[in-house]
Amino acid sequence: MKTSLLTTTAAAMFALSFAAGAANAASKWDGADDLPTSPLACDAGGAAAPAVAKPYDGGQPTNAPDKAGKEITIVDVPKLIGIGYFNATTKGMQDAAKELGNVKVSTDGPTEAKIDEQIKFIDNYITRGVDGILFAANDPVAIAPVLKKALSKGIHVVGYDANSQPDAREWFVNQAEFNGIGKSMVDSMAKEIGDGSFAIVTSTFTTPNQARWIAEMQAYAEKCHPKMTWLETVEAQEDNNLSFNQATTLINKYGDKLKGLFGMTSVATPASAEAVTKAGQCGKIAVVGLATPNAMKPYVNAGCVKSVVLWNPVDLGYAATYVMRAVVDGKLKPGATSVEAGKLGKLNVVNGSEILLGAPFIFNKDNVDKFDF
Amino acid sequence: MSLAIETKTFRVPRWLKRHETLLAIILLIALFGLGLMNDRFLTLDNLLNQGRLMTEIGLIALPMTFVIITGGIDLSVGAIVGLCAVMLGYSWKTFHFPLPLAIVFSLFVGALAGFINGLVITRIKVPPLIMTIATLALYRGLAEGISQAHSVRGYPEWFYFLGQGDVFGVPTQLLVLLVLIVIFGIVLDRTTFGRALYAIGANETAARFSALSVDRVKLVVYTLSGLASGLAAWVLVSRVTTTRMDMGSGYELDVIAAVVLGGTSIFGGSGTIWGTVIGLAMIQLLKNGLALTGVKGDATIMVIGVALILSVLIASSLRRRD
Repeated sequence: MKTSLLTTTAAAMFALSFAAGAANAASKWDGADDLPTSPLACDAGGAAAPAVAKPYDGGQPTNAPDKAGKEITIVDVPKLIGIGYFNATTKGMQDAAKELGNVKVSTDGPTEAKIDEQIKFIDNYITRGVDGILFAANDPVAIAPVLKKALSKGIHVVGYDANSQPDAREWFVNQAEFNGIGKSMVDSMAKEIGDGSFAIVTSTFTTPNQARWIAEMQAYAEKCHPKMTWLETVEAQEDNNLSFNQATTLINKYGDKLKGLFGMTSVATPASAEAVTKAGQCGKIAVVGLATPNAMKPYVNAGCVKSVVLWNPVDLGYAATYVMRAVVDGKLKPGATSVEAGKLGKLNVVNGSEILLGAPFIFNKDNVDKFDF
Repeated sequence: MSLAIETKTFRVPRWLKRHETLLAIILLIALFGLGLMNDRFLTLDNLLNQGRLMTEIGLIALPMTFVIITGGIDLSVGAIVGLCAVMLGYSWKTFHFPLPLAIVFSLFVGALAGFINGLVITRIKVPPLIMTIATLALYRGLAEGISQAHSVRGYPEWFYFLGQGDVFGVPTQLLVLLVLIVIFGIVLDRTTFGRALYAIGANETAARFSALSVDRVKLVVYTLSGLASGLAAWVLVSRVTTTRMDMGSGYELDVIAAVVLGGTSIFGGSGTIWGTVIGLAMIQLLKNGLALTGVKGDATIMVIGVALILSVLIASSLRRRD
């Protein structure tokens, strides 16, 4: 009796998740957020974002003390701590703080990417009293009330990596626009396989960033590489083993037809590369994907993977700190079109209140060993 | 039991040796210590804000105390929070229910989810641990399946009153929690229903032979647990202005930690609402106080773990000398 109940429950759950997956696979890629796609121009130099005149839409702190040029204490609350990616942004922040000399920045946050925990961390830092808060939101809307509370207490708020509602923070440092990633991925793949066929290994069909990127990739491929054939997109959570199995299944299923594999997560990309290596298909099946350099070094150095697309998270943290300093110093005001960010030079303001880090970074055999994250 | 010794040795008064009293003393010492270390900790503003943040866990901890007193456990509460949050958002946004109806509907779903737990536990005699682990996965899966991992946003302004508003300077949801604490306390301490909970937890067979309707009591308790989770979901959605399917994940552990720290025996048969309330306040204020004193997130969790073990050890060693 007990077992039969558990089995039924489990079966019901599997049926449910399967039905959900099937329903999604059938529909067109909408990015899971009902926003339109905006593919970039096809030519190689199209990384520069079109200057769309959009008025400043960020929020402003009330009665923030004037600390221009004085030492400030800022806290960084990322989605979670203890993973390579946010260790890298933290390093960038420390680098910037050292260069500036008048900024003290510390990183603190939840050990799991939970919005509820993140809100509590920010709330505590508001009570404790800091000059500025840097954040990477686990949820753009849920984080808004606590950020607005910070603004209302005269604390400067700047986001990076994952945005909040615009009016809940002053600026957001955008690492790469979705259409920029879409273009880099598809162009890198096209360079290797021409008009061949490819498949995608992603986390789930509805994970916000991944779904959006795939939607942009589809739009860009249709526009600029219409002869490329899209075989299939498979879900692999962010699970190493599952990603490997899914990639292996794709290789066996399509045989010679499959010329390229896209990995959409930092887990799926190395797992796909591993699957291609194990299948002895290095050089025959190209792997392009989003991943961190450390995970990809063996495959890149072995020549099995030619390009890994990502922004540089160290630069992202670095830029966020410079932006915060510029805001406190009154150098970055609503309506500004650019901001100086140390060694990164001048960064452009886009979408009203976002600062664009630049075109996505492509790691390859020549530069991958210079990075450690 | 120790009349002979009583005349010879000094005896600590009985009320002082109660677990809850000891905990309250430890709590006061911790409050005082943390207050000395940070001048922003013992402010009315901060304490009220902490009350706001702990309400969701508190709401679920009340019926959880009942569940654990009967010798049961409910691990599905966090998943029910997620399911109710999704039902609230979706019935409003997708099925176009008026928002008040959507709220009632989501509370109903919470109660139903708890009722199903209770029904299977009492009728099919599945151990509560197993049943609620299964429904933890099932309810979370439902929340994910229904929402397709999409969020629901854009609630009207009045909806935020419960989660973000104040009444006479006190967070709205904290008032709700306080009222419920009193009600649950009275029910447990002063009614036959409350007595029945202890009887079932102490010896279920004896309770059955004493003509107590054990199954009906359990059914009510698990349904209450689901309903309170639904209420917590409403408060949470109102506080963070958005519905997400991963809401409430991991709540079961926070809730059970508060209840058990508060002196409720995990084997059933003993426990109080007051203990749970102190346990709840202790965890929340310790976390907050440590964070304000500059202890970082990962270290805070460790310190809390050590503090929990210590307080339980002190309490039980004092009781053993009885």
